[in-house]
Amino acid sequence: MTLQLRAINKRFGERQVLHQLDLDVANGECVALLGASGCGKSTALRLIAGLDHPDQGSIRINDAEMVDVPAERRRVGMVFQSYALFPHLNVWENLELGLRMRGGSAGARDERIRSVLEVLQLSEQAQQRPAQLSGGQRQRVALARALLRDPLVYLLDEPMSNLDAQLREDLRPQLRRLMIGGEQPVVYVTHDQQEAMALADRIAVMREGRIEQIGTPRELYLQPASTYVAQFIGRPQMNLLPAKNGVITGIRPDDLRLDPAGSPCAILSREWFGANQMLLVRCDRGDLRLVCSGETAIEAETCISWPSDCEHRFDAVSGRRLPSGCPPSD
Amino acid sequence: MTHESLTHGPMTRGSMTPGLMTQRSLWIALLLVWSLGPMFWQLVSSFTTADALVNDQLSFWSRWTLNNYRDLLSTDPPFWRYLFNSSLVASLTTLLTLMLAIPAAYGMAKLPDRWKGSLRAAVVGAALFPYVLLFLALLELARTFALGNNLIAIAIPYSALSMPLALLLLTAAFEALPNDLEDAAKLEGLSLWQRLRWVLLPLIAPASASTAILVFLFAWNEYPVALTWLSRSDLLTLPVAMARIAGSSTYSVPYGTYAAATVLGAIPLLVLVLVFQRQIVSGLTNGAIKG
Repeated sequence: MTLQLRAINKRFGERQVLHQLDLDVANGECVALLGASGCGKSTALRLIAGLDHPDQGSIRINDAEMVDVPAERRRVGMVFQSYALFPHLNVWENLELGLRMRGGSAGARDERIRSVLEVLQLSEQAQQRPAQLSGGQRQRVALARALLRDPLVYLLDEPMSNLDAQLREDLRPQLRRLMIGGEQPVVYVTHDQQEAMALADRIAVMREGRIEQIGTPRELYLQPASTYVAQFIGRPQMNLLPAKNGVITGIRPDDLRLDPAGSPCAILSREWFGANQMLLVRCDRGDLRLVCSGETAIEAETCISWPSDCEHRFDAVSGRRLPSGCPPSD
Repeated sequence: MTHESLTHGPMTRGSMTPGLMTQRSLWIALLLVWSLGPMFWQLVSSFTTADALVNDQLSFWSRWTLNNYRDLLSTDPPFWRYLFNSSLVASLTTLLTLMLAIPAAYGMAKLPDRWKGSLRAAVVGAALFPYVLLFLALLELARTFALGNNLIAIAIPYSALSMPLALLLLTAAFEALPNDLEDAAKLEGLSLWQRLRWVLLPLIAPASASTAILVFLFAWNEYPVALTWLSRSDLLTLPVAMARIAGSSTYSVPYGTYAAATVLGAIPLLVLVLVFQRQIVSGLTNGAIKG
């Protein structure tokens, strides 16, 4: 374990932002912190970076206690949501500043910057200021800066949330090639479940300063520990049927079938995406989202059913998962 | 960036009708006459003979003279001496103020909000305080510590008096910088002084420039403290020296010489403002730095 958080508490004024947070990230592993805004995921990242100080708890990198090490000497490479490029310096100077301040020969410095610029296809932009760059280019400069830090841990704070969907898809392979799966642990903060599923080895779903569930994307999808996780992971989100005998039943929209022998229901709306389509149907158990093939012909009145072994069952009071439901299929 | 925001404002040239254009030019012209008129009058007076100033019967060609300037420069000590004194005092004041105010403003910008409010109120109070009320106390200080007739020492009260305004302007500039920038610099391994030198100072340069100009102006124009702290005639600053010229004769006011003195005294400021024009405007309007 190269990054270890133990019993971290952090309070801002009256608000307890993190409660007894524990997290382990292994060498070369990417853990995504996923959650709605205000759940404490960015705070956790800032504590690891040393930009904020925890009230209690321990942060260890390679078994060295880091809580009292100032951010300047922690050797973490961070990519900010805003990129935080220095606006008065051009791309080359942005990358050079840290290297120059940390010492080392000018020749080696130039060599490293040149090679990183080449890898990230930024050689042409070396003399431009951040304001002259496109969003994707700025993002790559921020990545380059983090790479040149030669860090013990990579911290990525919603690095792609300011980019459009197309650019995100283009950048994901680059990110995986350069940072994720190297030697260092990577902590990736995001509110986009799709990004987390695509990039992370494990996902920690956070809620109100606690980790609600941590596991591989597969575990989270197939066996969500609570209704919160169930609705956060997987799109369209899971259907939760109204509680019956203290049990909430959840069914994934893709587990619902159109079945002439099933219960009758009315189609409320339909969104067609080509390969598949999403229907909103009303039946006796409530309104349900249903995903089926785009080719399926739809009538106004139809019947649906679902295999009972695909039901997820949750306690109606606590929202926690109850035993049974889809067995993890390997 | 200032140019962009000016030309892309809600009132772009292209969207205006010709009628509005002429109306706007007219208002600008009036404003220019209003603000430049007195300066032009001083300029004309400074080249006019003493006779011509009180007698409008003289022909146009016999009105003009360079004597006012010659008188000014041939006095003992010559007028350029006062220009030099004022430049020295104002430069020292500006330097000292910025050296103290920049770290202080950085500290203030980093304070937690609950202290920031009351501290800012205190600084605003100090900025609004009529400093003339302090000149007797300052004179006492000068006596006690033997700081009178010393051009370097007078920069101390000047810096103190300009400090509130400088603090307000520079604190606002530091607060306007995105926090992420300093955080990023920290993670790059830059120490506090390295962050100030290589990241923060270049980014608040416009605000520093406008602050510097305002402090320089204050020190250049200051009268009561200079009047009481400086008495040796070769150490006077411009405002005091000019007041002496105006009051040099009991029976007449030497308008021409006085006008020439104002013209010469204004030239260094004009040059300064022309050189730093862009920084002043962008510093005063702020918001010039956005990543």
